[in-house]
Amino acid sequence: MMRWRPGAVAAAARGGVARRRATTVVIGVVVLVSTAACTLALGLVVDSRSPFDAAFAAQRGAHLAVTVDKSRATPAQLAATGRLPGVTALSGPFSEVTVSPVIGGGPGGPGYSAPPITLVGRPSPGGPLDHLTLIHGRWPHRRGEFVLSSDSGLGLELGAHIAASGVPGSPVLTLVGVANSVGQTADGWVLPAEVPALRAPGSLPTAQLLYRFAAAGSAAALKADARSVASALPARTVLASQSYLAVKQQVDTGIAPIVPFVVAFGLIGLVLSVLIVVNVVSGAVVAGYRRIGVLKSIGFTPAQVVATYASQITVPALVGCLVGVVLGNVLAVPLLGRTASVYQVGALAVPPWVDLAVPVAMCCLAGLAAIAPAIRAGRLSAVQAIATGRAPLQGRGYAAHRLLARLRLPRPVTIGLAAPFARPARTAVTLTAVLLGATTVTFAAGLTGSLNRVVVGQSHSQAEPVQAYLPSGNTGGPANFGPGGAPRALPVAVAERTTEAALRAQPGTLRYVAEADERVSVVGLTGQVDLTAFRGDARWTGYDLISGRWYNRAGEAVVPTNFLTVTGTSVGDTVTISDAGGLIAVRIVGEIFDTSNQGLDMLTDWRTVATADPRLVPATYDVGLRPGTDPQRYARALGHALGSGSAVSLNTNDPFFLTLTALIALLTVLLAVVAGLGVLNTVLLHSRERVHDLGIFRAVGMTPRQTIVMVVCWVAGPGLAAGLVAVPAGMAVHRYVLPVMAHAGATNLPASYIAVYSGPELALLALAGLVIAVAGALLPAGWAARSAAATALRAE
Amino acid sequence: MDALIRLDGVTKRYGGAGRPALDGIGLRVAAGDAVAIMGPSGSGKSTLLNLVAGLDRPTRGAVAVGGKRIDKMTEAGVARFRRQQVGMIFQFFNLLDDLTVLDNVLLPAQLAGVRRTDARARAGELLAALRISQHQHAYPARLSGGERQRVAIARALVNRPALLLADEPTGALDTEAGDQIGNVLLDLNRAGQTLLLVTHNPELAARYASRTVQLVDGTIAADVMNGARR
Repeated sequence: MMRWRPGAVAAAARGGVARRRATTVVIGVVVLVSTAACTLALGLVVDSRSPFDAAFAAQRGAHLAVTVDKSRATPAQLAATGRLPGVTALSGPFSEVTVSPVIGGGPGGPGYSAPPITLVGRPSPGGPLDHLTLIHGRWPHRRGEFVLSSDSGLGLELGAHIAASGVPGSPVLTLVGVANSVGQTADGWVLPAEVPALRAPGSLPTAQLLYRFAAAGSAAALKADARSVASALPARTVLASQSYLAVKQQVDTGIAPIVPFVVAFGLIGLVLSVLIVVNVVSGAVVAGYRRIGVLKSIGFTPAQVVATYASQITVPALVGCLVGVVLGNVLAVPLLGRTASVYQVGALAVPPWVDLAVPVAMCCLAGLAAIAPAIRAGRLSAVQAIATGRAPLQGRGYAAHRLLARLRLPRPVTIGLAAPFARPARTAVTLTAVLLGATTVTFAAGLTGSLNRVVVGQSHSQAEPVQAYLPSGNTGGPANFGPGGAPRALPVAVAERTTEAALRAQPGTLRYVAEADERVSVVGLTGQVDLTAFRGDARWTGYDLISGRWYNRAGEAVVPTNFLTVTGTSVGDTVTISDAGGLIAVRIVGEIFDTSNQGLDMLTDWRTVATADPRLVPATYDVGLRPGTDPQRYARALGHALGSGSAVSLNTNDPFFLTLTALIALLTVLLAVVAGLGVLNTVLLHSRERVHDLGIFRAVGMTPRQTIVMVVCWVAGPGLAAGLVAVPAGMAVHRYVLPVMAHAGATNLPASYIAVYSGPELALLALAGLVIAVAGALLPAGWAARSAAATALRAE
Repeated sequence: MDALIRLDGVTKRYGGAGRPALDGIGLRVAAGDAVAIMGPSGSGKSTLLNLVAGLDRPTRGAVAVGGKRIDKMTEAGVARFRRQQVGMIFQFFNLLDDLTVLDNVLLPAQLAGVRRTDARARAGELLAALRISQHQHAYPARLSGGERQRVAIARALVNRPALLLADEPTGALDTEAGDQIGNVLLDLNRAGQTLLLVTHNPELAARYASRTVQLVDGTIAADVMNGARR
């Protein structure tokens, strides 16, 4: 009886690693990719739970951003607030200025005015608090340059110009960078020396102070902190303060719809990785049964067999885990960067505990997956182990071979298609891996389709790509400016006639409708809601119906889901609105998809409110274009026709969704690769097992191409089956996740946003499993075709 | 002599240094011959057979069968050559366990793209000639060793190859079954089938081959014509 000698176990394990180089490499690569995928998936899931908190901690965000009037307090008094009880850190004062920008104003000529933005003078993005994350470009080097906040909503390209209207000389700033402040402390930043030149005559010399407090966990605590700061300064020094909790709530609400999808992807990634690691490792041990039998025949005990195989697997698994966690973090940089921009938080990183937990768990998983079959092999007699390791059980799959041989298909195809029946357990695991991969592809395709419809539904970029604003409009949209930046007032009737004439004269105009935007009160509801009254048919403006119908007459309205939720009403109910002192009964006839103003708005006919509010005037014209008309050219031409400083804007899709689509694509590719690796492993194991049969096939005249076809067909059947099952499975996941995402965003979805799969698309998606299987099989199929027939025949 | 098999200066090395498995072999085999390759273990018999079958390539020298240099062919070309020109039988039969007897026999014809009816007719003919028709739907595992080798012979002949290669064809059989297989090979050769037989059994060589080539350490030690066969 052989004694326990670590040397013998180590030698046997070393020999196994060296002898089975391909298997060792595959185990290492599979564990590597799975570890990387798990690191990413878990990192995403964890970061999805509290992205704001993670980014806030990373940026050392300010609990309170206070705007002060510098003329009322000395620098010493301002600095002294940093020593108040409860204040743990102070940054500033940074000079602050509010600018009314004209986008494109400057060297390019007249542009559009945008809502006012707050610019803060900071020498660098760092500092004791609010470490800004520079996303694109650089920090300003000189005056005349500015960095824009990624939350500003202006969406300018680097190099764009803005002119500060209402300021002498209308100074022009060039955009040199985009940065993120998780606490959203400003809309943009300039060098401190720039600020004085941007102040309008007579405006207050304001500055920003950033604080962190010992107690800042609740709105009440922050309110007390703000009071403490205000009372330490001369009266009326503090002009405004912004709590990080308000921003946090806003961000958390914004990301809520995204979290279910990220969690779904993350979980699929985790399950897929675990499944494939178990499959690869246990398969590798089972493939080594014959060798285990030989080891036992020379005196290895069951414990020594287990130790040998555990260490034989642990070596590549350990290397795979370590490299995988590094790769996961490297991949996480752009991916979590994209996620951070989706979540509108500065930066996200894989949490350290994930970096530790994932490789440890993967190593344990690989070890357990190796130990279980090794224990089983250890209990077998040497002869049994050798017999089990040589071939599948006698009789398995024979019927499939017999039946498939009758088909009028090339023989390599029928032999290949019958092969999975010889190893049903392994086939089931492979099928599950491909199924998960293909389900991910189907889900991702549906999600992308739905998100496209959501983004178009939100932006109205297809139905009404252009909007023309009346100069006297009160919409917050672009205004018409005369020389010197002063608004140029035109009589409304004249402006209407001018605008409509210009619209009719443009060859690309298909249709247009005037709208008035009001703030109205709904009886029984605190606060006000937006009301849009259309003067004419507006069904075509791109508000998709969720239920009910579009309004047909005065006194009817359509509203978003959240309006119904907040008011506790349903389609068919009547609400009373208060406008211009009059009460108007409005019957809700339809539920629409609209998330603007948090879904608290009403769309109705002009006549619904015109009688109560005779001063109602249109603010905007929504313009639909003839097919083939380029919206940008149209907008330029219309702006030119309407005169300098024209108030024309384009409805464009939110770049947020482009980022989200890129994120979906990256995750899908990663998971499909993991599934493909599972297939690769199955084919490798199978070709090792059947190496002798491969030699026979070659001996009787099978060409390399026929060998590749046969080997690919080993997995083509399960791949096709998995693809066929994956289509309804992916659609089911999509049908479940989409409404959850939508509900998190306080809206329902139109049926057309969920029914996004077309017949041809489904047919293509059904082939996804086949594609994954074939892609995973091609490499080992090539190896099998190139293997020396004489060597294979000797492998008896 | 118009040689069906022609080996010129063939050397085969496995790995790096050390003695070659075959060292400068020159050999001619005429169509219709039955040649036995003999020698002790490690003398290079199976290597020579693999080179003639195109299952392996020489390190140096030329191998031609039917006037075609198989050592110069692509993998696909040599596969096509093999299924048309060469039939192989092995000591341990090398049948595919998960295919029936009939499917095993049909396989080379199906790979060669022979019409289904023609292939089945040919397979039926061979199974009948080899007296194993009754087992055509059975799996190899249910057959005796002699029956399995008959199936292997039927499979080797299904494409009417010019050359039949046999690697220790009776090595795994009992005496009676070995004799039966030997007689089958003898009958085939008498019917004009060229036969290259690897064996370490002098008696088998003497009984079933018209010529014996003796290999020792990768070189031809003797090449003699046998006396009258049985």
